[in-house]
Amino acid sequence: MRFVDEFRDAELGRVLAGQIAATVEPGRRYKVMEVCGGHTHTIYKYGVADLLPPNVELVHGPGCPVCVIPMGRVDDALAIARRENVILTSFGDMMRVPGGDGTLLETKAAGADVRMVYSPLDALRIARDNPGREVVFFAVGFETTAPSTALTLKRAKAEGVENFSVFCNHVTIVPPLRALLESPDLRLDGFIGPGHVATVVGVRPFEFIPADYGKPVVVSGFEPLDVLQSVHMLLRQLVDGRCEVENQYTRVVPYEGNPRALEVLEEVFELRPHFEWRGLGFISHSGLKLSEGYASFDTELRFDIPGVRVADPKACQCGEVLKGVIKPWECKVFGTACTPERPIGTCMVSSEGACAAYYNYGRFSREPAAV
Amino acid sequence: MSACNDDHCITCADEGVEMRVLERGAAGVSVCVTEDGGRADVMTELVGVVEDGDLVLVHAGVAIARLRRA
Repeated sequence: MRFVDEFRDAELGRVLAGQIAATVEPGRRYKVMEVCGGHTHTIYKYGVADLLPPNVELVHGPGCPVCVIPMGRVDDALAIARRENVILTSFGDMMRVPGGDGTLLETKAAGADVRMVYSPLDALRIARDNPGREVVFFAVGFETTAPSTALTLKRAKAEGVENFSVFCNHVTIVPPLRALLESPDLRLDGFIGPGHVATVVGVRPFEFIPADYGKPVVVSGFEPLDVLQSVHMLLRQLVDGRCEVENQYTRVVPYEGNPRALEVLEEVFELRPHFEWRGLGFISHSGLKLSEGYASFDTELRFDIPGVRVADPKACQCGEVLKGVIKPWECKVFGTACTPERPIGTCMVSSEGACAAYYNYGRFSREPAAV
Repeated sequence: MSACNDDHCITCADEGVEMRVLERGAAGVSVCVTEDGGRADVMTELVGVVEDGDLVLVHAGVAIARLRRA
């Protein structure tokens, strides 16, 4: 298929790897964060990291929407699922995320009506098909996913589907990036920006990174050649002494994003004063809730929800992994007590989580894989 | 919606999947197909009017961007 096969070409990958090797300055170390979990997945699935010179290090950022959901919000979802007459719908990865009180899958096994959906539109269909039941959609995701929830809510409102509501956990990408940049233990040279979030928000929201923090950004696609080319563009900026936002993913990302999607988001959501992120704590204006016009679809207003903050397990170091302070294999429980089959931390649950990517592709130590 | 792409769910992460419009449908919903042949009903109202054969980036059942032809 066009736009896919040509971005997985091994020969072109080797050419790009050669260009990267020729660009880096010997004796200088480069530390680059890929913000999005989708990039982390690509990097380990296709062995991108093994094509880079040893003095170029990739650090995995907080852009996995499942990984950043705090345990207390999972417990809230469990409490909703256990209510009489409720059908709780969720994306698949959230089903295995442990809260303090179990997982959605365990709650389903115990008798709750929990159903996996591929789209919030599927949840709305379930609501239409079950008019006597309360159907709740457990909404997670960044600006990539939020338009889908927003369109679903607009449709629910237009159709007058009263037994449908959204437990909103949508988050925005810029506030955690700013929080990371303010973190004193962060040492980064630049960022590979989240290409699919940028299809919605555009390139402009990332311009504060070079302007305020002096770090270059390259908004990147998700195929292996996209990531390699983005690393090359970042290194080129660093070597040239430039610092700006570049768009590698021009075939999908317009500078201004998707204005229609932004309009829909503006109509349906508003910013919360603050929202808790796993490992990062409370971050101002980083979470979305339903706007006044859609308040009747807000699960948090419809039901009494515990809303209790739950501390992460002591052994879990997802916070340090999400900030790029440690590599997944440096966590005390990585690959032993914490595996994809029995995850302790969220980074091991989602295929986009850094720990799961490392585990699934055999990265148990700093040793590079044989290529 | 079609199933996940190998080990990688199209809605579990904040990632989109390139799909081709197979058949433009009513009420802003079109039948689209993935690289490996998976079909899905996709809402296309956020990317304007689509034609059969157009390539779009789909996330959670909604097209959020058009892919530009080189």
